[in-house]
Amino acid sequence: MLEVANLSVNYGSIEAVRDISFQVPEGKIVTLIGANGAGKTTTLSSISGLLRPGRGKIIFQGQDITRWPTDQIVRAGLAQVAEGRAILSPLTVAENLELGAFVRRDRAAIRQDIDRIYGQFPRLAERRSQLAGSLSGGEQQMLAIGRALMAQPKMLLLDEPSMGLAPIIINQVFEIIRQINEQGTTVLLVEQNANKALKIADYAYVMESGRVTFQGTAEEVRSSTHVVEAFLGKG
Amino acid sequence: MRTKRTVGVYLRYILYGLLAVSLAAYAIYFTQNPNVNDLNRFLINAILGLSIFVTLNTGLLSLANAGFMAIGAYSSAILVAKVGLPLFLSLPLAMLICGIVGLLIGLPVLRLTDVYLAISTLGFGEIVRVIIVTTPDLTGGATGANLSTGFPFERMRQTETWMLVLFLAFLIYLFYWLDRSKTGRALRAIRQNSGAAATMGINVVYYRNLAFVMSAVIAGAAGVFYAHQIGSIDNNDFRFSKAVDILSYGVLGGTTHWFGPILGAGLLTVLPVSLREVFGTSVAFFTQLPVIINGLALLLVVIFLPGGLFQPSRYRHKEMPINEAEIADDVAVSKESPPLVEGEAVGPPADALPLLELHDVTRTFGGITAVDNISFGIPQGIICGLIGPNGSGKTTLLNLITGIYHPNRGRILLSGRDITGLPPHLIAKLGIGRTYQNIRLFNDMTVLENVVVGHHARIKTNLFTTWLRLPQERRQEALARQEALGLLKRLGLLGFASQPASKLSYGDQRRVEIARALALHPALLLLDEPAAGMNDVETALLAEFILTLKRQGYTVVVIEHHIDLIMQVSNEIIVLNFGKKIAQDVPVEVQQNAQVVEAYFGQE
Repeated sequence: MLEVANLSVNYGSIEAVRDISFQVPEGKIVTLIGANGAGKTTTLSSISGLLRPGRGKIIFQGQDITRWPTDQIVRAGLAQVAEGRAILSPLTVAENLELGAFVRRDRAAIRQDIDRIYGQFPRLAERRSQLAGSLSGGEQQMLAIGRALMAQPKMLLLDEPSMGLAPIIINQVFEIIRQINEQGTTVLLVEQNANKALKIADYAYVMESGRVTFQGTAEEVRSSTHVVEAFLGKG
Repeated sequence: MRTKRTVGVYLRYILYGLLAVSLAAYAIYFTQNPNVNDLNRFLINAILGLSIFVTLNTGLLSLANAGFMAIGAYSSAILVAKVGLPLFLSLPLAMLICGIVGLLIGLPVLRLTDVYLAISTLGFGEIVRVIIVTTPDLTGGATGANLSTGFPFERMRQTETWMLVLFLAFLIYLFYWLDRSKTGRALRAIRQNSGAAATMGINVVYYRNLAFVMSAVIAGAAGVFYAHQIGSIDNNDFRFSKAVDILSYGVLGGTTHWFGPILGAGLLTVLPVSLREVFGTSVAFFTQLPVIINGLALLLVVIFLPGGLFQPSRYRHKEMPINEAEIADDVAVSKESPPLVEGEAVGPPADALPLLELHDVTRTFGGITAVDNISFGIPQGIICGLIGPNGSGKTTLLNLITGIYHPNRGRILLSGRDITGLPPHLIAKLGIGRTYQNIRLFNDMTVLENVVVGHHARIKTNLFTTWLRLPQERRQEALARQEALGLLKRLGLLGFASQPASKLSYGDQRRVEIARALALHPALLLLDEPAAGMNDVETALLAEFILTLKRQGYTVVVIEHHIDLIMQVSNEIIVLNFGKKIAQDVPVEVQQNAQVVEAYFGQE
C-alpha cells in the first residue's frame, strides 16, 4: 500500500535519514523501531509531507506522493498522529474531533464515529466541551489519536501513541490500534515501547543512525539478539 | 511551504543586491553633491532601529518609540534653545527623561502582550502628541518648535555626522556585549518561552521593563539628534506612521540580531534617496515609487522571509570549538565540588526536617478540582515517584509547587519556609528546578546556550560588569560555560552542544531539559515524564543517572509512566487519582495496593 524507496532527508548538513526503503502492505501493522535520533520521526514527517525529502520516492496506492502537500496526502487517505500531540488548544474536545473529519462529507457517519471514539476513550466524553488546552498531557494524546481516526484514513501513521499515557491506558490504546487495523486500516507505527509495538505488529523495521539495519516479522525481530540488546533491554 | 523557502532565498539575494546598488548610486551622488542630510537621516534611523530591536528581541511588540522620540526631541529642543544648555548636556538629560517616562509607562503597560501591547503603546504615542499640541508656550504647540515659536535655528542645528557615527558605534558596542551576557540571554529566553525563563529564575517582569526602558532611552537619543538635524520639529513628525516606519526597520531587517534593524533602516532610507537621484522628482509617479518599493519589499519579506532579512545562525560555537580541557568534570553535578559563585553555600546536610511539605493544598479550575486537599512531606535526599492515571493532577501539582499556579487553599513549604504564592522565578532561586512534560526549550538557542541560561540565577554579573568588561564578567561566563559543558557530558549530550535545541529528537530534548534544570543547583528537582520518548535502554540509563543524582545529595520528584523506572529509583511513591492522594508508600507496598492497581496499572 505504501512504498518508500531510497529515501534520504537532510537537516542542513546533517543526514537524518540515509537511503532507506521499506514497504507497508495493505491491511497490516508495520512498526519502525529504533533509538532516539535514529530518524523515525523524520521518516514519518517525510511521508506525511511535512518535510521535504532530499532523495527518494514515496508511493501510496500506486501514486507518487513524494512532493504532495500535506492536505492532499490526508485527502488521499493517509493520516498522521504527530509526536507531541499538536492538538488545537483554543478549541473544545468535540471541535477537535470534528475538525479531524474536515475532509469528509458524511455527517451522520461523522457523528457515529465521534460517539465511537467517546466509547473508546470515556475520559474524552467526560471532557467533550472542555478546551483541549486544559486537558492533561495524557488526555491530549488520547485526543490526538481520536482526531486522526476521524479522518477515516485508509492508512494511519502513529508517532509514539503510548507517550505520556498511564499503563492502564497504554494497553487500551494498543488494543484500539489492533481493532482499527482489523476493521481495515493499515497502520505504520513508530514506537519507543518496542515490546508493546512488536506484540501487535506484523512486520518490523529497525532503524539506527538514519539507516534500516534489520527487518523481519515481529517474531524474528523479537528473537534477534542484536535488537534485544540494542532496544528491548532485559525486560 | 517548500516553494516559499526557495522564494525567500532569492528574495534575500534580490534585496541585498538592491541595497548594494542603491549604496553605490548613493556614493556616486554623494561625491557629486556632498550633502550629509541623507546620511544623517540614515544614522538616526539606524539608532531608532536599535531602539525597536531591544523590545522585539524580548518579544515585546511595542509601538511607543515614536512617542519617546518626540519626548527626546522636545526635551532637548527646550533645554538647548530656551534654557541655553549645550547639546552634549541636553542629550543625557533628555535620555534620562525618556527613561523615567518609560519606566512609569512600562510598569502598567507591560502586563499586556502582543496586539494589546501594540495598541496601548500606540495610544501612548498619541497622548504625547496631544500634550505637545496643547502646551504651545512650552513646545510651540501645533505649529511646532521653530523660529516663529521662539526656537532659534542657530542653536538647534547642531547635529553633526561624526556625533551620530560615534553614538551609533557606542550603541553597537553595548549591544555586542549585551548579546553575550546574562542579561542578553535572559531577554532572548523571555522572547522564546517566558514560562520556562521564569523557572530558570529569570524575573520576567523586571527584564521586560528593563528592555522597555532601554528602548525608550535609545529612541529619545534619536529624537535629540533628529531635532538638531532638521532645526525645527513638529508634532506631525511623530505620528502613528513614524512608529510603523520604525517597526518596519526591524521587521524588514530582522529582529534576532542587532545588525538586522540597522540593515532594515539602511535599505528603507537609502533606497528612496537613490531612486530620487536616479529618476528625479519631476514625474509624479517616480516620487511615489520609493513608497511602493518599500511597501512591496516589506510585504514580500513578511511573507517569504518571516523573521527578517538578516538572520545569522545563532550557532556561533562553530567558530568556538569546544576544548576538551574546558569541560568541567562532574563539577556541576557534584555537590562537593566548588560552587560556581565564590562563597556560595553548598546545600544543607541531610536532616530530619522534610525538604518539601504540602499542607491541605487544593486547586480548582472552574468547576473541576484538579488538586484536592493534598498533604505530604518529602524528606531531604530521597527520590519520590509521583504516579496516577492521566488527568489525575500530577502536572498541576508540579505547577503549584513551582509557583506557576497558586493554590486556592493550603500551604507549601520548602525547608520550612512558606513559599505559597511566590512567583516562579523566586521559587527557582530558592532551589526548585524542573523539567516540562511538554518540552519547553529555548528553540532558537543551541543546546549549550539553553543550559547556560539555566545558570542565570547563579551568575553574579550585571550590565555594568558586562559593558565595562570587568574581570568578573569573563570569569563567571567562562565558569558557566564550563559547568554547562560538564552537565552536557554527564547526560551524554556533548556531541549536540552547538546544535539548535529544536533539531534534537524528543528523548534528547528531555535530557537537555534535565541538564538545564540542574544548572540551577536545585535542592529539589522535579522531573515531569523525563523518559517519555525514550526506549527501554535509554530509560534504564536515565534511571541510573537519577540514582547518581540521589547519591550526590539531590532530592528528586519524578512523574513517570515507565513503571520500571519508578520502581527502580523511588524510595517512596505517591499515587494520585482524581486530584486526591490515594497512596504514599514504599514501592513494594504501592504495587500491591488494590486501589492503585485498579486505578493505574489495570489487570494484565
